[in-house]
Amino acid sequence: MDWDQFDLNPKVVAALKKADIKSIKQILNLSGADLQRLMKLSSADIQCLLKTVSHTLRRNSMITALQLYQDKDHLTSQHQKLSLGCSVLDTLLKGGIPLVGITELAGESSAGKTQISLQLCLCVQYPYKYGGLESGAVYICTEDVFPSKRLQQLIDQQHKLRADVPAEIIQKIKFGNSIFVEHAADLDTFHNCITKRISLLLTRGMVRLVVIDSIAALFRCEFGVSDSVMKARYLQTFGAELHSLSTRFRTPIMCINQVTDAVSESEAAQCSCSVVGNRVCPALGITWANQLLMRLMVSRVPQPAPSSGVVSHPTGSVRTLRVVFAPHLPSSSCCYTVKLEGVKGIK
Amino acid sequence: MVLTFVEIGISKEEALEALQVVRQECHGDATRTAGGSGATRKCTALELLEEEQAQGFIITFCSALDNILGGGVQLTKITEICGAPGVGKTQLCMQLAVDVQIPECFGGVAGEAVFIDTEGSFMVDRVVEIATACVRHCQLIAEAHQEEDNLKALETFSLESILSHIYYFRCRDYVELLAQVYLLPDFLSEHSKVRLVVVDGIAFPFRHDFEDLSLRTRLLNGLAQQLIIIANDHKSAVVLTNQMTTRIGQSQSTLVPALGESWGHAATVRLIFHWDNSQRLATLYKSPSQKESTIPYHITSHGFRDVQPPAVTQNAEDTEMNPRKRPRREEEK
Repeated sequence: MDWDQFDLNPKVVAALKKADIKSIKQILNLSGADLQRLMKLSSADIQCLLKTVSHTLRRNSMITALQLYQDKDHLTSQHQKLSLGCSVLDTLLKGGIPLVGITELAGESSAGKTQISLQLCLCVQYPYKYGGLESGAVYICTEDVFPSKRLQQLIDQQHKLRADVPAEIIQKIKFGNSIFVEHAADLDTFHNCITKRISLLLTRGMVRLVVIDSIAALFRCEFGVSDSVMKARYLQTFGAELHSLSTRFRTPIMCINQVTDAVSESEAAQCSCSVVGNRVCPALGITWANQLLMRLMVSRVPQPAPSSGVVSHPTGSVRTLRVVFAPHLPSSSCCYTVKLEGVKGIK
Repeated sequence: MVLTFVEIGISKEEALEALQVVRQECHGDATRTAGGSGATRKCTALELLEEEQAQGFIITFCSALDNILGGGVQLTKITEICGAPGVGKTQLCMQLAVDVQIPECFGGVAGEAVFIDTEGSFMVDRVVEIATACVRHCQLIAEAHQEEDNLKALETFSLESILSHIYYFRCRDYVELLAQVYLLPDFLSEHSKVRLVVVDGIAFPFRHDFEDLSLRTRLLNGLAQQLIIIANDHKSAVVLTNQMTTRIGQSQSTLVPALGESWGHAATVRLIFHWDNSQRLATLYKSPSQKESTIPYHITSHGFRDVQPPAVTQNAEDTEMNPRKRPRREEEK
């Protein structure tokens, strides 16, 4: 760190160099008294130093809520979201997936999690005007093989799913080229993947969506009951790293999670799941839940009989997408089906 | 003066002399600092009581919660809200950032808000919903009572003005948070109408990245001290949100607030939000003056609310806004 660049008294700069202090983080990690002792400066000098370095780090960091609200620039606005490719589902989520933060999609097997994720990998490639982010996606598989056949089906049927987009725009997008598939079956490979490989793709602007399918699989075999501290550490580290990537690159992170049986009412209540009388709750507990911005659950629980006049689908193929928690959404749900062309909400 | 003179290798006389000098310095410092902040004042307990009772409260719009808190979220104190994800901590913070701005004639403190966000959960669209409902609520009261000062206050109490007085800071790690808190006193001096500082959440940046837990404890203690001083000096309420963590006991595991035992002493008032089946509950867990109690609450499209709407009479609406204001009687119009 070049302390000469800072607006500091030369004696303070000299003291910093002599005490071998190399970063702002190092300064802020020390208490006022420690700094006084280390640098042999007065309390007033130290206060001044702390304010100067804090100011350098946090220059121009204030924005009013009004400015946030009025910001319509798609590069910075909170209103910009990643569409799911279906207007019904987008309405449920008030626009789509938020661009900064980890969104979780939890549910039983074959409830439709992978289908929704694949659809997102295609949606992200559309222009901003159509709810996309004009960039690719990286799909991290942690247990199953990547469903490339299904992806190809979806690509072929995009014109049918996205009737709102002009055909010439759809034809121009080379969907397959912008989906990067990674495999990470254990914790270290996964860690390496998110810290090195994904960072690279993000820095180069090649992707604006990260899908992890699934986060639970990484932790299934490796941790016994006595290793809960270790497991919590890993979860917090991964959560923090993903969160940091998401913030730096304004890229949504979609984590697929499995569900486990809720052993007691209180446990179900902790994950806000007893609302629908579900006896399953997302895996990985509260440590993982603390890392999330938004939690969605999919299930195949049959909905009550539709009102007359509505075409009823055979109950077997109808799924429910539910918002469990989100800072900007009420607890709500809607039904959807999985068709050849993709996932479509039912009004 | 924790060192004994033996430890630092000086004689007893030299030690006494050093103490004298320090004492004089402290006195000198106290007289030099303008405004008396940090100076030691002598006052009686009665004076302190009167001062405390005159402090404002920021209402939450959930009268049950306001009641157990003794009127609302108190200025000059640190209130901590703990709870599992999704239970409503951020919702209450957003509600308070709006409610702190309610004009005095409606029972508010007419202040401004600083919102420090470490998790990225401040969604402005939701704040707009909450603010719009709050303005509407005040409009209904003004229409019902047709008073000069109410109607005048509404001219400046609008969605745009509310949003423009929420000062938002996004801190992406604990270093940025520490730096921001060092800069807060100067910011608050420049923006003297601020009456609320929210840190949502205090736990997130401190729960990873710390091999050395004693460093974390020290940093958190330092942060708490600075916030206490800020709350006092600037007559503001400080509201922090905290996560919950599992404590594994003998036979079962329980949820407890994160950041450890020593952090438990940082806040004056501690609220724990939790679920009972599908009902959200708020428990006042720690308070210097109120007893421990639990009340139910709701999160509606308008924001943080009671479970049952209050009785729909004019008087009740008035007291709902400000429990301390007595309802107007006919003769006074």
